[in-house]
Amino acid sequence: MAATLCMKLLRNQGWAPLVQSVRHGSKAVTRHRKPLHIIKQKLLAVTQYIPPARVVPPGAYPAENKCVQEDAGLSLLLKKDLKKVFEESKMVAVVQKNGSNAEDMMILKHRLCKHGIKVKFFPNQVTRSFLSDSVYCNMAPLFIGPTVLFVSKEPKVKEMLSALRASPQMTLLGACIDNTLLSAQGVVSYSKLPSVTVVQGELVSGLTMLTSRTASMLQHHPARLSALLRQYVKQQSPDDGAEAAPKAEAAT
Amino acid sequence: MAAPGKATVLLKAVKKITVQFCPFESNVRSTREFLALVGSEKARSTNMNCEVMPVVKHDKSEPVVDVTYVDGERLVMKGAKLTCSEMLGAFQSRCKDKDQQAKAGAKK
Repeated sequence: MAATLCMKLLRNQGWAPLVQSVRHGSKAVTRHRKPLHIIKQKLLAVTQYIPPARVVPPGAYPAENKCVQEDAGLSLLLKKDLKKVFEESKMVAVVQKNGSNAEDMMILKHRLCKHGIKVKFFPNQVTRSFLSDSVYCNMAPLFIGPTVLFVSKEPKVKEMLSALRASPQMTLLGACIDNTLLSAQGVVSYSKLPSVTVVQGELVSGLTMLTSRTASMLQHHPARLSALLRQYVKQQSPDDGAEAAPKAEAAT
Repeated sequence: MAAPGKATVLLKAVKKITVQFCPFESNVRSTREFLALVGSEKARSTNMNCEVMPVVKHDKSEPVVDVTYVDGERLVMKGAKLTCSEMLGAFQSRCKDKDQQAKAGAKK
């Protein structure tokens, strides 16, 4: 109490304080990194040194992006498998599978096996990399999402379409039949085509129709042939009837 | 692009979904993924009466998803410039709203 009273008295009389603290407060040299004042921070950030971009001569460093990813062993095996599949089978169909369970898959596989169509699974990445190297590069955009391959040596399209119709979750995207890429509608129209022998027979009959008619006409009685020719000449030239008729008569 | 996971697709208020696309185009990825999600077993088990019809075309047309709800409303999504998660989000939000409306109506 006395000290405080004395302190107050001293202050009122204008005396200098008895105890003055010289070194007090935060130090300038610290062991940790002292946080900068915000204004100093801003100043340093604004006046930071940005070195000029050095242009490297083109041949100085080796290119960074040339890392060629070598295929893992499994993907090589799968690619060999794919190659064999494409070489052996005449028909390769791509079907998207939307959530069919194991039972449905088994039933579908069984149905297709009866006609010699095999169901194959390959990872999309492997298929895409294989197709981009081979001739079938235009099939690459088909392989997105859950896809399944139906392969067979003989193009048995009708049976495949009927089996697919029975399972609504499978969507036919496209097919490669006899090295020809077909869309879904193309496959349907291919199935409606008659067989090769029928088409060949029709073509041959169409070509030989004319010659067979000529042969049959020649085999008839010659008088009939001459009458036909006279009639033909009259029809061809109605104005020059007088000149044409003696010529025809001279010929017969 | 990974498909959105842990999102159960509710098809209770949906009558029919038609997904039409051209597989040889390059902008059909999201539509195909949407189809795979909607046509999965889980989704179809929520409503056995709902039809999911994929239509495969070859005329360079844009991929379109056409959803018909039970109350007659239609949702048409053009998937050429949309991602799968966006389409799924829009579809699911609408389905949830319809489902809640139906439940509220049933409770009353």
